[in-house]
Amino acid sequence: MIAPSRQRTPNPHLGAYYGIVASAFVSLVILLAMAEQLGWSQGAIARSLTLLPLAAYLGIAGASRTLDAEDFFVSGRRVPQVYNALVLAAIAVGGTGFFAYTGAIFFLGFDALAIGLGWACGFVLAAVLFVPYLRRAGSYTFPAFLGQRFRSREARIAASIFQVAPTALLLAAEIKIAAVVAAIFLPLPFGVAVLLATLLVAAIGILGGMRSLTWSGSAQFIVGAVGLAATLIVVSVLLTNLPAPQLTYGEMFGALQSAETAAGLSPVAPGVVTSALPHAAPMQVVKPFLQAFGAINEAGFFVLFLCLALGTAALPSLITRSGVTRSVADQRRSTAWALLLVALFVITAPALAAFAKLLMFRDMALIPTQGLPAWLSTFSQWHLVQANDINGDGTIGPGELLVARNGVALALPVLADLPYVLTALMATAGLGIALAAAGSHLFTLGASLADDIYIPLGRRPIELPRLVTAWAAIGACALLTVVFLLIAKVDALHNAVTAFAFAAATFFPVLLLSIWWPRCTAWGALASMGTGFSILFLAVTFGGVIGVAETAVGIAVASLIAAVLAAGAGVGASLYGPAPASFDTAYYEEMRKPEGEAIVDLAQARAATAARATEE
Amino acid sequence: MTAELTETEQAVRDRHQLRTLAVAITTISAVLCGVGVIVIYAVSLNRLWFLHFPLGFYLLAQGLLIFIVVVAFWYVRVQERIDHTRSVNEEIV
Repeated sequence: MIAPSRQRTPNPHLGAYYGIVASAFVSLVILLAMAEQLGWSQGAIARSLTLLPLAAYLGIAGASRTLDAEDFFVSGRRVPQVYNALVLAAIAVGGTGFFAYTGAIFFLGFDALAIGLGWACGFVLAAVLFVPYLRRAGSYTFPAFLGQRFRSREARIAASIFQVAPTALLLAAEIKIAAVVAAIFLPLPFGVAVLLATLLVAAIGILGGMRSLTWSGSAQFIVGAVGLAATLIVVSVLLTNLPAPQLTYGEMFGALQSAETAAGLSPVAPGVVTSALPHAAPMQVVKPFLQAFGAINEAGFFVLFLCLALGTAALPSLITRSGVTRSVADQRRSTAWALLLVALFVITAPALAAFAKLLMFRDMALIPTQGLPAWLSTFSQWHLVQANDINGDGTIGPGELLVARNGVALALPVLADLPYVLTALMATAGLGIALAAAGSHLFTLGASLADDIYIPLGRRPIELPRLVTAWAAIGACALLTVVFLLIAKVDALHNAVTAFAFAAATFFPVLLLSIWWPRCTAWGALASMGTGFSILFLAVTFGGVIGVAETAVGIAVASLIAAVLAAGAGVGASLYGPAPASFDTAYYEEMRKPEGEAIVDLAQARAATAARATEE
Repeated sequence: MTAELTETEQAVRDRHQLRTLAVAITTISAVLCGVGVIVIYAVSLNRLWFLHFPLGFYLLAQGLLIFIVVVAFWYVRVQERIDHTRSVNEEIV
């Protein structure tokens, strides 16, 4: 008989294992730093620092492989709260946060803070409104929760179809980021890098599902945190003599403003920065770092913040992890720990952007007297900058430098003239975070398509075909992702904002109604999801023609309007239709209880007991 | 007797749900209002400086995040106390 999940104890040696992982990674970095001084080539250092952690992630996934459905879908419901928080934070931030968000702050400064604030606030909304109740329900996937809450196969299938949009957009964004980094540092052709990154995350997902994603994701987060922290601390010590970049980058604002003025940057008038968020292609920097509301006005800032907050709270890849800890209280605490980790990243990101901008613009201001900086040729090779002598004066002025948004984090160690090992360290850190997020998005997509669409439409499956179906779905999604990335142009930040907007419009209202309103019915849930998704889909697809949802703020406005209308449609359809059956009300009351086994586990135990009684 | 017990259980459940709702509204309102107020007054606050940062920038980049984390852990603590009270009351019932 399966032991109740709360009686299962987590591995008591986890702390030692991850201590070893962290120590091994730090030792590897120190060894490679010594090897660099001994004359190792940059290629050998980059390959060692990139491939060895990738092998470790795959090894951890192999060691946590499983054929048990509970382990595969909810990691055995025994993940300690902090380890789950590591993976939640990695999913929310992802490679998009690591590279694209830091780049957005580099370009927009003050105005880009809305994104980080939105992520952090989303975790509060999730912890308060959704996560404890989803843990009590204990469903293996997010659409399965809706299906069980309303005893509706249609609601489950619809949710699974609707979640393809946000999850696939984020998956494409994360794989794109990982492939770009791998293509620069391994080095590989972009197509091969896409294939390698996708194969790796698919293998991790197939080997052990949520279980291997949890344990390899924890290692990936550790690598990401060590890489970001080490590089930034070194730069902070060099520039400010203090190893606390979050506290000290304010001291650099005077020098930064001088460098920006020397580069010809002056406060921009509203409307000059037309796209709100910078594109992935190299662009000219036009806005001073500290100018408030130059690219996005106050209302746009708050709307973008709110859209990302609602989207984070209802993001399927995060919601799917709501059943992996031992109890409701653990899940709530885990979300709070994840918020702390995300907040630490969001507090740190502006320091990275400010240091990079200061160093870059200071060097550009010195060009007339000291010539072109050494980093210009390196960045040109990596396609991180484009320098064009537009005015034909034989030199590159600050206004003639185009910077790639996603390359700012990689540029910082080079700008600070640090040893190459720290550049490779930053790359492997971002790669780890991107792969952790991509793995979770791929698993969420594949597991849901298999478990919420294929299996409910078929006959009652036995356990092994259930996992085989999930493996096949994960493999198929991985293949489609590779094909999509090879033929489509993907802008990671634009994809991410659109994905969060879809989650906010489609899933936030239905989760709110199904968890906090006992009168909500299956028709209400279907109407809510359908309305939210349709309105935002129309706005994103056809809105460009009439000037709606062209920019990030436009998409955010459309998603909030869609969310409000979706909530209204859910309430209207629920009140118009028949009242919920007594079973649905009983499920609701059971879900709202703060303690006890997951409802799904109790149902499975009852079914197993009944089956044994029938056999006897 | 059974009906009386059920009524008591319902009262325990209703009190728990009411207190949970109150804490949820308080937590979310505090966070959203905090962000809204700082966004509205950010330009004015930027005239003041704190730890070498313009105050409006500092609050959006760090201050609000620290506030949100504190509020979240406060919420976790209060909600666990509310849940514990319900469990104790149900055992008494």
